[in-house]
Amino acid sequence: MLKRSLIVFVLCGYTLFAAGPFVWAALLSFRTTSEIQLDHYALPSPFHWEKYPDAWFNSNYGTYFLNSLEVVLAAVFILTFVGAMAAHCLARYKFRWNRAIYFVLFSTIIFPPQITIISLFQVLVNYGLYNSKVGLVLVYVAIQLPLTIYILEGFFARIPADLFEAARMDGFSDWMIFWKIAFPIALPAVSTTIILNFILLWNEFLFAVVLITDEASRTLPLGIQRFIGDTQEDIGMIATGLMIAMIPVIVVYGFFSEKLIQGMTAGAVK
Amino acid sequence: MAIVKLDKLTKLYSSGHPPAADNVSLTIQDGEFMVLLGPSGCGKTTTLRMIAGLESISGGELSIDGQKVNDKPAKDRDIAMVFQSYALYPHMSVKDNLAFGLRRRKVPREEIERRVGEACRVLGLVPYLARKPHALSGGQRQRVALGRAIVREPKVFLFDEPLSNLDAALRVSTRTEIAALHRRLGATMIYVTHDQVEAMTLGTRICIMSGGRVMQVGPPLEVYQRPVNTFVAGFLGNPPMNLIPARVESGGAAPVVQIGDTVLAIPTGRVGTLAAGSVVTFGIRPESLSLDPRPGAAPGARLSGTAEQIEALGAETILTVRIDGQADRIADRVIARIAGDAGGIALGQPCTLSLDLNEAHLFDGAGMAVRP
Repeated sequence: MLKRSLIVFVLCGYTLFAAGPFVWAALLSFRTTSEIQLDHYALPSPFHWEKYPDAWFNSNYGTYFLNSLEVVLAAVFILTFVGAMAAHCLARYKFRWNRAIYFVLFSTIIFPPQITIISLFQVLVNYGLYNSKVGLVLVYVAIQLPLTIYILEGFFARIPADLFEAARMDGFSDWMIFWKIAFPIALPAVSTTIILNFILLWNEFLFAVVLITDEASRTLPLGIQRFIGDTQEDIGMIATGLMIAMIPVIVVYGFFSEKLIQGMTAGAVK
Repeated sequence: MAIVKLDKLTKLYSSGHPPAADNVSLTIQDGEFMVLLGPSGCGKTTTLRMIAGLESISGGELSIDGQKVNDKPAKDRDIAMVFQSYALYPHMSVKDNLAFGLRRRKVPREEIERRVGEACRVLGLVPYLARKPHALSGGQRQRVALGRAIVREPKVFLFDEPLSNLDAALRVSTRTEIAALHRRLGATMIYVTHDQVEAMTLGTRICIMSGGRVMQVGPPLEVYQRPVNTFVAGFLGNPPMNLIPARVESGGAAPVVQIGDTVLAIPTGRVGTLAAGSVVTFGIRPESLSLDPRPGAAPGARLSGTAEQIEALGAETILTVRIDGQADRIADRVIARIAGDAGGIALGQPCTLSLDLNEAHLFDGAGMAVRP
């Protein structure tokens, strides 16, 4: 009984720790900045629902949101398929330099993004991709691909080779074996990378702020930054913007979370 | 018709290493159940995988029904294989697992339904059609794997140690099912195992392999009763054949051999001619030894020693005896399989074993059987 109470107590504490900032930001999103300055922790009274359409239409959040959606979905789509194919290839096929390629890919994870940002900036300028969403998508794919391959390679390597051989005897080509056998079996791990990449890229700020200056191409993190001035911050609108930004992440997480848990526990319960 | 012919089939993984399969020559007749038997690393699975098309062939020729298939892809050889790990697609239901290969081969839908339905009825899988493999027991998974091979209606079935992941009881029942399946389908089947009970009970013929080479091919009882060399003699049988170093005292068609202090006269016609003084290996199966001296047995057909281990199994007793006058070496012990109990013999007690020399074998210095 004591043990159970302790567990409940710890879980309540953790929930407060994890959900507290979210609830607070949600409450702030319904209050104006002047109300917030009077009392940081008060409940909304009245609820300023109008702040959401105001942010969406008047503060250009709609454009930022759609830009983020375009860039992140395109990047995650490419990452998922290119990453899965590369991981399957590295995990399944024996060829010269297999491990060397894997090592080179994986070793890029250790570099902090600041190291590459200046050269990336120059490369994008040279190729006419600076200030374009296509350029940002390519950069996002490049920075997240090693981690994606790393996660997926481990999973693909655990798929028994007998399955592929059975499929070969059933008459399937390597290409079809990947799509009909390997990819569906790896879905838990693929979901993990989808969530991970989506959340990381949805919140990505550093590359976006350096590589995008055009108002029409800004992504959500840059849009939220606009409410932070040199001398004052529009806390109320920042909170509203944050809530708008969080919705897709929650939707994606809700959609893939079951697969994510399967991915994280795969092998452990086998 | 499906005759599978292996002509000096060789598999070399890397130069400098001995071949995994070395000049394997074997003809598997139409409808035959051929068992490839041998210890781990003997090349039996490599040979099977070459037949399946999952492994390239380094040398020799493989033909099915007279047609060379060395370079034919696995899918075009009309062969189905049951894997040791079952290799069921985990994301598909039992029905989809069975139908997957047929859909790929563009078999008409009604025909797929018929074949899958029939295989499920035969294998008792009808209640599990909608289940995924993880919701099945080991035995059910094995039956799905069998079903997947059956629905293909291939020329040749290959089995790669299909029972090794099952528990002992299930292994016996599945073995019976496979035997029944072979009788029903009358198809050519090639079965790899290291379990000699499976080999003896299932095989029309057994091919015993060691070090990538074929040691002996023949019907189960023939390879058991007439092993061609000491490897086959020692590998088949549980406990294995007793192989004891001996020396030929007087040669001829009925040689007399000496083991330690004991002199044994081999009956005429049992073995081939040997010169006096030859060093040989005397072989005798544990069941050809008995504790009580046989009435009327020649005095030479006895071995005396000390009981070193007694394993009472109920219906029989496995008795290990160290032979008198021999150095303390493993090869100088004999194992006897005695019906019932050990007749009151205790550990460390002297005992005399009677040998049925009509069942004795002699192997020459190279380990090859000396045949009449």
